[in-house]
Amino acid sequence: MEPWTVVIVLAALVAVSTALGLLYRLTRSRVGTVAAAREAAVDGIDLGSQGTLLQFSSAVCSACAATRRILESVSTDNPSLRHVEVDVTDRPDLVSRFNILQTPTTLILDHTGVPVSRIGGGVRREVVLAQLTGILTPAPTPKI
Amino acid sequence: MSTRSSEIDPRGPRFSAAVTAVLVLIGVGLALVGGTPATIAGRIGQPAFLLFVVLAALFAWGAFAGVARHPWGLVFKRVIRPRLAPPAELENAAAPTFAQGVGLFVVTVGLVLHLAGVPFALVVAGSAAFVAAFLNSVFDYCLGCQLYLLLVRSGVLRPKASAASSPA
Repeated sequence: MEPWTVVIVLAALVAVSTALGLLYRLTRSRVGTVAAAREAAVDGIDLGSQGTLLQFSSAVCSACAATRRILESVSTDNPSLRHVEVDVTDRPDLVSRFNILQTPTTLILDHTGVPVSRIGGGVRREVVLAQLTGILTPAPTPKI
Repeated sequence: MSTRSSEIDPRGPRFSAAVTAVLVLIGVGLALVGGTPATIAGRIGQPAFLLFVVLAALFAWGAFAGVARHPWGLVFKRVIRPRLAPPAELENAAAPTFAQGVGLFVVTVGLVLHLAGVPFALVVAGSAAFVAAFLNSVFDYCLGCQLYLLLVRSGVLRPKASAASSPA
């Protein structure tokens, strides 16, 4: 094969990989909605009084630890929230119901256990907090 | 895999993946130049074939001895990590170790098909390995983790109950 053809093929390989990576970066930590058909309370987990951060993890997962740290810190800051982590192999029913295709995937459940939003991949703290504003009752504003 | 549950600096596997990506890219280039010789002896003697044999051995090392004992992992630990600030968090070694196994599988399939005389076998297998290593190194994207989840979901891979559910 001609040397310049080899160079073009290798450059194309790097370009395609870079495009895939940029696509991944764009969709990382993206918030999705939960399909109406799946909007029913999740059973078998302990719920927080105002909401639950349900994290799906697996044994082979690079971003699960970082997501666990963030969600635990969010639930520690707000005691009415609870962080629950389930392994995909322990709850195949939930995995197929919510069609979990990557770990971590985080579902935010309201106080009745009904999922209201879904975050695919490693979470960012500000994204989680923005999603929580809808389900948390605002703290009473002090009257002056 | 005794290192399954050990915790490592996540930058170690990314460094290893960068070295691997460069070597695999060189291998793909050599495979494109070398083509597929007519005889088995000619195919074995190719620089591309020999380089991918070495890469397969390195993947096997990482998959069976654990990424922390992999040559690039040791270089990272001895030479690079002492110069860096401590990591924000540690990562479970299971993910990069599994990824090494995936790399071993892909490269081995390429080597076998190449020996059988299939044209572009090393180019295709090497390209797949390059994409995975490049995404891991540059974008911190774990392709092997996605594969693991799909294999578990489809029932091909049965996780050991103790390894998957216990945090230890």
